[in-house]
Amino acid sequence: MIRKLISIGETAKLLGVSVDTLRRWDGTGRLLSIRSGPRGHRFYDLSDIEQFTQDQSDIARRWAQSPKGVEPEVEIYCQTRDVFQSRLETLQGKLGRNLPVTVVSLITAVAGEIGNNSFDHNLGNWPDVIGIFFSYSLRERTVILADRGLGILTTLKRVRPELTNAQEALKVAFTETVSGRLPESRGNGLKFVRKVIVDNAFTLYFQTGDAYLYLKQGDEGIVVKPAKTFIRGCFAKIGFEEEK
Amino acid sequence: MIIQVKKFGTTLVSRPSGREAWLAFQPVLNEISAGEDIVVDFAGVAVLTPSWADEFLTPLYNRFDGRVKLLNTDNPSVSASLTILGK
Repeated sequence: MIRKLISIGETAKLLGVSVDTLRRWDGTGRLLSIRSGPRGHRFYDLSDIEQFTQDQSDIARRWAQSPKGVEPEVEIYCQTRDVFQSRLETLQGKLGRNLPVTVVSLITAVAGEIGNNSFDHNLGNWPDVIGIFFSYSLRERTVILADRGLGILTTLKRVRPELTNAQEALKVAFTETVSGRLPESRGNGLKFVRKVIVDNAFTLYFQTGDAYLYLKQGDEGIVVKPAKTFIRGCFAKIGFEEEK
Repeated sequence: MIIQVKKFGTTLVSRPSGREAWLAFQPVLNEISAGEDIVVDFAGVAVLTPSWADEFLTPLYNRFDGRVKLLNTDNPSVSASLTILGK
């Protein structure tokens, strides 16, 4: 097999992290480089990078579904909204370097809405780890958000006590304007997310409890399915396609 | 009067920041004369969510019913947020 090696600068661009972060990851073994050339410059094997980005989604999922809550690594952990806002703006800036304004503004808005939803519904009530997991890959064109919060069923049951399972709750959250924060009138967030995804070349996998949905461009209805795994809070993976 | 939304920031995402914008702007809103139009100008806003907009625009509409006009709403996230809120 022929190895395709790319420079540390190129790798930083692909993963959306700084060169310093890559050097640190190399030191801790999180993502190992290959030293090459007379000066021993760091290079990365493209297949290692692909594996790494796949792992990010798995890491988020494992973190969200683990029975025991532990804080994620600092680069992907947003304990407060302020940290999330700052990293969201960093993502926005990176997307803006080579993607059209439609993708930049809508993907940032969708990620912002999902991430802030986690804070809105769990503030003061986080079962264990507070805050959210937030990572992205510019190469894979994905954004991953997860929380270990109460989940949509518990939140919506406060205003819709007749809800009995996560599948019903997830459907309500994406189709009806209801809020788990009575007496406040709100609850447009996930309807907005749905509209943006189906109107553009985006995708969304969203799981809460043992229910998930998958949305893509042109979808008309919402199909909620039983998941094989259980996530008490929420897990979301947003995809944005290559320019056609 | 014209409200330049970009003066609150260009990535307007969370409910608390929308709420804070609304509260901070009260002294200015108190100076608006009867019958004066309120023009909300979104020029320069890069990202808007319905959460932020709901905290700022919904009370604005409630207070100045029929006098609120929206300007420069062509950013995709601005127009999508306004559509969801029915503005």
